[in-house]
Amino acid sequence: MRALVAAAIGLAPVLLFVLLVSVVDLPPDGPTSPKPLLTADPGPKK
Amino acid sequence: MRRRASLVLLALAVFCAAMAPTLRWYAFPRLAKIPPNQYQETVLEAKPATLLNYSTLKAEKVEKITIIQTLKGNVEESRRIERDAGRDVVVWDALAHVTGPDGKMVSQIPERYIFDAHTQDPVHATGESVDGDPVRREGIEFKWPFLTEKRDYRYFDAQTRTSAPIHYKGTRTFRGMEVYYFEQTVPWTKVPMPKTMPVKGITPKLLADSGLTRWYTTKRMFWIEPVTGAPVNGEEIHKEELRNAKALMGRDTLTVFEGHVKMREDYIESVGEMVAANRLTVLLLVSYLPWSLTFAALLLLALALWLEARSRRPGPRPAVTPVTPPV
Repeated sequence: MRALVAAAIGLAPVLLFVLLVSVVDLPPDGPTSPKPLLTADPGPKK
Repeated sequence: MRRRASLVLLALAVFCAAMAPTLRWYAFPRLAKIPPNQYQETVLEAKPATLLNYSTLKAEKVEKITIIQTLKGNVEESRRIERDAGRDVVVWDALAHVTGPDGKMVSQIPERYIFDAHTQDPVHATGESVDGDPVRREGIEFKWPFLTEKRDYRYFDAQTRTSAPIHYKGTRTFRGMEVYYFEQTVPWTKVPMPKTMPVKGITPKLLADSGLTRWYTTKRMFWIEPVTGAPVNGEEIHKEELRNAKALMGRDTLTVFEGHVKMREDYIESVGEMVAANRLTVLLLVSYLPWSLTFAALLLLALALWLEARSRRPGPRPAVTPVTPPV
């Protein structure tokens, strides 16, 4: 019985994590880049 | 005390054992995605190349042709499409701008590519286009899916506006990185005239009315880092012709462009660095963490069992004290 309780305690955070991933949206990634679509060679990449 | 410790270890073992597959098969497909606001430019060059000189109407050898390719994530459009599609969507506004050795524009093709942020499957929505023409993409373009497989994929060709298989041709080592090599050959195909022409006064309609047709063939090569699905190198052996040109240009066939296009060295290095960083993040979710958790689970379980067994073992017998007979 104690072993079952221990296993349940171990499983609880995993279930919480699953719930968190399914419910919570990832943080927004920010706006569209203000940089333009290039029509000239931007030069050597730094 | 030992019994309590073994139960704690058992709980930890169960946590690790359950977390390992959860990370790999539940969290990874949901967390790994292409950000909708990505901005990336790539410069490719063909050195030397053959290019049509519109003033002499002759194909000439030139020192180099430069292709500047920009991919820009359109966040507002991706949010708009996500509301209808009900999934994470990325909208890339792309421009392939080709310049001659003098830096002047030779041609340019804008595109809008809409795809699923997690799987890279195409998403069909209003605005999906190539050079202003609506298209319906099948397969992939620009990037392969995360955890690329050793198999053929369907790849969209912007010139022909069609998709065809791109073949897996084996595993190679590119700059110390294990990559999958893919190859696609597009046979000679009649393709639309670009909407933007390099010479003022010449319009696609004017050329079409004169009976001219544009034909194109290419051999496309990609070296793909399989964990991220990102191309670390790309080359194209590209050939374009104007046919049925006798009435207008004195010859039936004119080469418009011919060259072996390769990614410029500084961009190969830059892309390589970016891919190496992203690869580590993906590997953490699909390999390093799940395997570490699996080993930890086994170790903790073994420890828990060992402690449990020790706690159940009967203690040492008390020492028998010799009974001294009464004197």
